[in-house]
Amino acid sequence: MKLIDALKILKQPIPEDAPLRRIFLACGFTPLHLQTFLAAHLRRFSPQQRIEVQTGLFADLVGNVERLQGSRFDMAVVMVEWQDLDQRLGIRSLGGWRATDLADILNSVEQAIGRLKEALRLASTNLPVCVCMPTLPLPPIFTPPTRQASPYELQLRQSVASLAASIAGQPRVRVLSAQRLDEVSPPHARFDAKTELMAGFPYTLPHVSELAELLAALIQNPAPMKGIITDLDDTLWKGILGEVGTDGISWHLNCHAQVHGLYQQFLGSLASAGVLIAVASKNDRALVEQAFERKDLIISKESVFPMEAHWNSKSESARRILNKWNIGPEAVVFIDDSPMELAEVKAAFPEMECVLFPKNDYQAVWDLFRRLRDLFGKSTLSEEDSIRLQSIRGASALHELPDAAGSSLDSFLQNANANIQFTLGKRTGDTRSFELVNKTNQFNLNGKRVSESEWIDYVNDPKTFLLTVSYDDKYGPLGQIAVLMGRADCKKVSIDTWVMSCRAFSRRIEHQCLRYLFEKFSADEIAFDYQATARNGPLQEFFAEFLQVDQAPGLRLSRSCFAEKTPRLFHQVKEGGS
Amino acid sequence: MTEVSDRLARCFSSVLPNMTKEEICEANVAALADVDSWAAVTLIAVIDEEFGVAMSPDQLWELGSFQAIEQYLSRQDRPGEQDLTSNT
Repeated sequence: MKLIDALKILKQPIPEDAPLRRIFLACGFTPLHLQTFLAAHLRRFSPQQRIEVQTGLFADLVGNVERLQGSRFDMAVVMVEWQDLDQRLGIRSLGGWRATDLADILNSVEQAIGRLKEALRLASTNLPVCVCMPTLPLPPIFTPPTRQASPYELQLRQSVASLAASIAGQPRVRVLSAQRLDEVSPPHARFDAKTELMAGFPYTLPHVSELAELLAALIQNPAPMKGIITDLDDTLWKGILGEVGTDGISWHLNCHAQVHGLYQQFLGSLASAGVLIAVASKNDRALVEQAFERKDLIISKESVFPMEAHWNSKSESARRILNKWNIGPEAVVFIDDSPMELAEVKAAFPEMECVLFPKNDYQAVWDLFRRLRDLFGKSTLSEEDSIRLQSIRGASALHELPDAAGSSLDSFLQNANANIQFTLGKRTGDTRSFELVNKTNQFNLNGKRVSESEWIDYVNDPKTFLLTVSYDDKYGPLGQIAVLMGRADCKKVSIDTWVMSCRAFSRRIEHQCLRYLFEKFSADEIAFDYQATARNGPLQEFFAEFLQVDQAPGLRLSRSCFAEKTPRLFHQVKEGGS
Repeated sequence: MTEVSDRLARCFSSVLPNMTKEEICEANVAALADVDSWAAVTLIAVIDEEFGVAMSPDQLWELGSFQAIEQYLSRQDRPGEQDLTSNT
């Protein structure tokens, strides 16, 4: 993006009632074009939001971060450059570059890093923080020629890397990838000595544009996609199974098939992070099962569910897979080596991302892995990520009951040895609840999403409660699958947020949630901030069991109505500590 | 308006969105804003991006008017023509 384009974007009108997003940009230099580009890239990502980027004091990065405590911003961006750690590492001060100064510079950098680390820790208890470590070159102050690394230079870099590593694991802190920045902005073309001396702004325009775009993406942090449907022949392995047999297919270097082995390895990596992997292949089912018995297969058979191997269309396979996963096509990537199959699936599911497996182009396969990592990448892994597939297999068994709504369901649930644990309390760093609220569509009270800062405010409000629900049965644990947020006052309970994972459907967990609320708060009535959305059909159906559901918010359910109409519940209920 | 004049007007308009085209053409940089302000530095950056000509605040100040900046940029765009003009 050019500066003139960024200025144009910022001039575009925004509706008066557009939600305001307040970003604090903490930097030690004059924010100048970084402020402009950052606001423009954020506007491009979210055209219906009013973006306000505020800045702090010049040459006081650590102080700016320290003052974030208790502030009312939605997000902070912290730009660390070398001169923020010691002014002698910049060109606007004349503090001395003698060889004898280097040990002192290193020492003062260590001290500044310690202060910054503590300031970042405190700031991130209050709001999400994106951090960018130094992007500019160190000045030529070290005694060896520039082609040779000085021990001081290496120690400086090590100190900064240690800081980045220690904060990257903190909840609500995201560190910009230096490798990714190197790819889009060459390190030698970043520093502008003229504007640094003239205006206190050290970046070239191409660098600041790329930097701001990456920062905006880091701030946006879009929800990851959920599943991959992959083809087999000439995709998961090299060769046509039906022609060469199970021993003829390959995925190893010596068969010139390494890209397929790497693809399996990459899918295995995604599966281990909770991404769903399914197969859609026009093949003989028995042969496919035989192939998956091969001991040298890189991706385990257990990581793949379901397996659609038959001669019907791929779009039909995709439809069945989506039903089993119970997720929408917009959260799924379909990968195949045949453009015709991609087109057929795309026609049936326009929202689905359909990607060609570039079997003869090794570089393109590498690029595909990077693209998939961006689509499916997560900041942190939760316990639910490790049990997602297991619970979907369990739910699938449930849906295959001959009468899943009636007596078979009663019998199934009675014999399921189901346990529900309710935990009433707020925990700092509860990323799972936040994630559930922001990604659940089908069983969602009103479809409202919350920003990280709104979440922190809600959790810190003493008048609100947060109820989390975990579930397990003899088919395995589902982990934490529901969140209810609301207020309770004198037998009156009002629910602002209620979401439940689609993996937990058809187990009457939602009924048990309401029973728990009625009993826990001795409530006569529960009011819901209900709103019908295009996608919360399962929740609407649930309420329809009890009430005449209209489209307006303010739905109320009485204890007597609930008691009269709720079906039999078989769960063992436990209460957990906060 | 010449092509350079058009492009320069777009630069001015992106930095000073409240000015009309006529006001821009008659603008004097010194009167627009302090030359060390955000507007001046941004104008210099936008001109650099658009014309590939890096100006300093002092240069901008000395040139002063929109027309003088336009003429300066035209000469930078066509250095041969500059010599020709000075010979005639």
